[in-house]
Amino acid sequence: MSYLYPSSLEEALGILRDGSGRARVIAGATDIFLQRLPHSLVDLTALPALSGIKEESGLITIGAAVTHSQAAASPVILAGAQALAEGCARVGSPQIRNAGTLGGNIVNAAPAADAAVALAALGARARIVDIKGLTREEAVEDLYRTHNRSLVDSSSEILVELIIKSCGINEGSAFTRFAARNALALPLVNAAAAVKVENGLVKEARLVVAPVKPAPTRLQRAEEMLIGMPVNRETRLAVEKAAASEVEVRSSLLRCSARYRLHLVGVLVGRALETAAQRAQQRKRGNDS
Amino acid sequence: MKQQIIMFQLNGEPLEIYADPAESLLAILREKLGLYGTKAGCGKGECGACTVLVDDQAQNSCLIPAGKVQGRRVETIENLSRGDVVHPIQEAFVEKGAVQCGFCSPGMIMSAYALLKSSPQPAPEDVKTAISGNLCRCSGYKQIEEAVLCAGDKMKNRES
Repeated sequence: MSYLYPSSLEEALGILRDGSGRARVIAGATDIFLQRLPHSLVDLTALPALSGIKEESGLITIGAAVTHSQAAASPVILAGAQALAEGCARVGSPQIRNAGTLGGNIVNAAPAADAAVALAALGARARIVDIKGLTREEAVEDLYRTHNRSLVDSSSEILVELIIKSCGINEGSAFTRFAARNALALPLVNAAAAVKVENGLVKEARLVVAPVKPAPTRLQRAEEMLIGMPVNRETRLAVEKAAASEVEVRSSLLRCSARYRLHLVGVLVGRALETAAQRAQQRKRGNDS
Repeated sequence: MKQQIIMFQLNGEPLEIYADPAESLLAILREKLGLYGTKAGCGKGECGACTVLVDDQAQNSCLIPAGKVQGRRVETIENLSRGDVVHPIQEAFVEKGAVQCGFCSPGMIMSAYALLKSSPQPAPEDVKTAISGNLCRCSGYKQIEEAVLCAGDKMKNRES
């Protein structure tokens, strides 16, 4: 066996079935040389089922093999899932964004993957098929087994597509990150927010931050606290405080001290929230196309 | 991994090679095909010295398993000059002093080439983004940014 190019999803699943764990799927393959190579590589990038971005009755469907560059430039995503466009635009470098895919960003299971953090804030669901022909749908943040290990098994399952509710009236989202450099640097912390604002008050909120746990982490206490609060500086400061008190972080030689990271968690969640809320309010006035 | 036949277009010519599909495209280019213009730097996608174009998009050849270029178009720095005539981007790099030690230059020029293919008159911000995956430890980037903008003008003038 070797490097294989299935032309349909069924064919790819068939190869995995025959490989009995010794074949695994790849997409952008940007991290393949950092890992031990399996017996066979099954390249999914040419599969029609995993490509394309479309919007239908308020739902955006993104093929798992869509690259970060494609997502960051997609008019559909820029209009309906702005946090995702921003997250994708910050992954790695242009070269990596041209190769790396959204599905890979999730299944590679890095704890602070920019696209995955944005997707979690947007409430994205992943559709996964397995070699038995079963299909399941899971929230993106529920796909993490442990650090750098996905619950999606690349030797028996394929993440086919991601589904997001398109941003509606009074809704907005935003992504932000902080890193040692502007490009080619892992984020010390990244954060994304998706909110609905009506008459100046927060109606719905999803706040996600990483790296805190193996998966992008929702700040549920801060989210609950936000409901019904006015969009202003006091609210932002309260959320910054709540966010930092809600998570536990470690010091890391790779990133920074726990204390600094905790500070960043608050600041970045506050920034993402403020931008998302501004966008939500602009959508009400109808000047955000 | 077992060797297999990989067919792709390299610098405008169809090519068929018998190679390990899990070997990097960079290794194939340098070691099998003798194209040493593409530089081997960090080997993990962090420096951009190995940048080539795959279907007109800049990519790190050190990260691409050779099997991945099956049926694709690959362009390396060797495709830019025509005999003794250098490409306007190369000309601009010399004129603006954008080359010092020269190790990053092939990758930097390929990133610039990808940018100018898709947007012939880029804004300074676009240039910064386009070369953000390429490290240069000599120049401080300023001369490189100027060279890419200058190359855009040269290419436009030559067309008209």
